[in-house]
Amino acid sequence: MLEINDLHASVGGSEILRGLSLSVRAGEVHAIMGPNGSGKSTLAQLIAGNDAYTVSRGTVELDGEDLLPLSPEERARRGIFLGFQYPVEIPGVNNAYLLKAALNARRKYAGLSEIDAFEFLKLARDKMAMLNMDPKFLNRGVNEGFSGGEKKRNEILQMAILEPRLAVLDETDSGLDIDALRAVANGVNALRDPDRAIILVTHYQRLLDYIEPDHVHVLSEGRIVRSGDKSLALQLEEKGYDWLREAASA
Amino acid sequence: MNQRTTPLQSIDTLGAMALDAPGGQPSVTPPADATVAAIASQFPANWLVIRNGKASDVAAQLPGLNVALTQDVLSIQVPAQLVHDGIVGLLFIDDTENGAGMSHARVVIELQAGSAVNIIEYHSTIGNAMHHAHCAMELSLAAGARCNFIRFQDRQTQHDQTGSLTATLDMDSQLHHTAFDLGGNVVRNELNIKLAGAGAMTCLYGLFMAGGDQHVENHSRVDHLVGPASSEQEYRGIAAGASRCVWRGVAVVHRGADGTNASQANHNLLLSAAAIIDATPQLEIYADDVKASHGTTFGGLDQNALFYLRTRGLDDAAARRLLIGAHAGKIVARSPLPALQARISEIVAQRVATLIAEEAP
Ligand SMILES: Nc1ncnc2c1ncn2[C@@H]1O[C@H](COP(=O)(O)OP(=O)(O)OP(=O)(O)O)[C@@H](O)[C@H]1O
Ligand SMILES: [Mg+2]
Repeated sequence: MLEINDLHASVGGSEILRGLSLSVRAGEVHAIMGPNGSGKSTLAQLIAGNDAYTVSRGTVELDGEDLLPLSPEERARRGIFLGFQYPVEIPGVNNAYLLKAALNARRKYAGLSEIDAFEFLKLARDKMAMLNMDPKFLNRGVNEGFSGGEKKRNEILQMAILEPRLAVLDETDSGLDIDALRAVANGVNALRDPDRAIILVTHYQRLLDYIEPDHVHVLSEGRIVRSGDKSLALQLEEKGYDWLREAASA
Repeated sequence: MNQRTTPLQSIDTLGAMALDAPGGQPSVTPPADATVAAIASQFPANWLVIRNGKASDVAAQLPGLNVALTQDVLSIQVPAQLVHDGIVGLLFIDDTENGAGMSHARVVIELQAGSAVNIIEYHSTIGNAMHHAHCAMELSLAAGARCNFIRFQDRQTQHDQTGSLTATLDMDSQLHHTAFDLGGNVVRNELNIKLAGAGAMTCLYGLFMAGGDQHVENHSRVDHLVGPASSEQEYRGIAAGASRCVWRGVAVVHRGADGTNASQANHNLLLSAAAIIDATPQLEIYADDVKASHGTTFGGLDQNALFYLRTRGLDDAAARRLLIGAHAGKIVARSPLPALQARISEIVAQRVATLIAEEAP
């Protein structure tokens, strides 16, 4: 589904991604771990179409289509969803309005009619119930004054409503209490489907207890330096990243 | 005992008024044969029409109010204790091709003790000749009077306007004023509010939007003569093209006006590198027990918010419309007469769309 090959990307003159390759097939869940500053968010933002990053080499394809020339909205309409590490507060833009506009943009691209107000409300309420979210969040400004955990839950609500083909969740588990973590994991697991894929960027093995990944990768200095199954996450939890660096330089 | 009149006209009717797109962009210039009557017919029938500065028919249906025209001064008196829950509409139309190139309107409004009224003034122009309209308004609120006031300026962008509203608020009276400036060439509005009685309260909100080479100024001054009393000012600006806007908010807390609450805020969105907004908040405090605050912000559209919205599938223009609309929406939401807010939002949204079109690459 997603094929990244030898990707080099820089921002502000410094190269952040240095030859990153990653292949994600439909139905899979991939976890990407790695030290702070290694380029995980850069990769996530790049997949979503943030043009702050300049790609100097390499390719990114979704189902064989070159993603790089596409705008963020074109990517979203093709089913890419980014759960932000730092969800943006947008005062004065109604949360429900955005959810509905986002869903309709995706439906329109798929040749479907706009969802009617009643149907939308029902859908939103169902998804919020699944995520243990108070319906009052629908009528707030997008992330406006939300706590850190509430913002992350709101990202998952958007994901649950949009049902993306490829969800990239950038540290959606950071800052969550135990209940919220379970709710988020429920949301992600509900999305698991042979036609969809999920990339989880995380620092914690804890999330992977709830969402079992098919593959775990370690990103370091802009490159994937190790890939394995879920046991790799356990090893990292135990030994940290230095162990990998030592292994790499040995 | 409070008297009540039948509402002048249901607010819903006003909400349906078929106004042209604001801002006087070329595409929305009324056709050359548009007449004053045709414009007026888009407003409720009981609105007072002030054509080229002159009120024509003051016999309009404003039951309970005393309306008079003396030497070109339109005066409206709201008798004591009368709670007028309809709208007093003042439609200023300047027919630029059938006038002297300028117009002067004078309006005096008196709210007697305990009375209440909703006032909307709407300024528009037709025709393509040069024109300068001036409107001087005086408002007095006696003890316990309450006034909701909306000023809407939607002139074509080649026409100038200057105007002032001077208001004196007696004990426990309240003025809730919201101004919308969407059009005009050179525009200068002044608000002079005197809080002269203890317990008086005023909120002054405003939204100005300018593009092209429009020049729009809003100056407000609140004099806290006694305390306790409170004033709140919040203006928001949106400037595109090579437009230039000025906001100057002054609050003077005079000696002895203890228990004053005065706040000022001005938040500005600059949509182009050439647009300029000058903002000057000014607080002068000569009393002791005063709570005062002011804040001014400037910025372009939040690029992170723009990207966030686009990752949700909204195209660039829709995302911009949403963000600019949200900035403007804060003032729409603060305007009195909630039943009108949806209609005002639509008019503002149309103006947002023309500003975005102006900035389109
Ligand atoms: N605009 C920028 N200008 C310069 N450097 C930048 C810019 N944005 C990101 N970087 C740098 O790129 C590197 C990778 O950042 P990125 O956010 O991708 O890391 P990360 O792996 O997500 O880290 P974390 O685990 O802390 O979230 C960092 O060293 C960061 O400082
Ligand atoms: Mg990160």
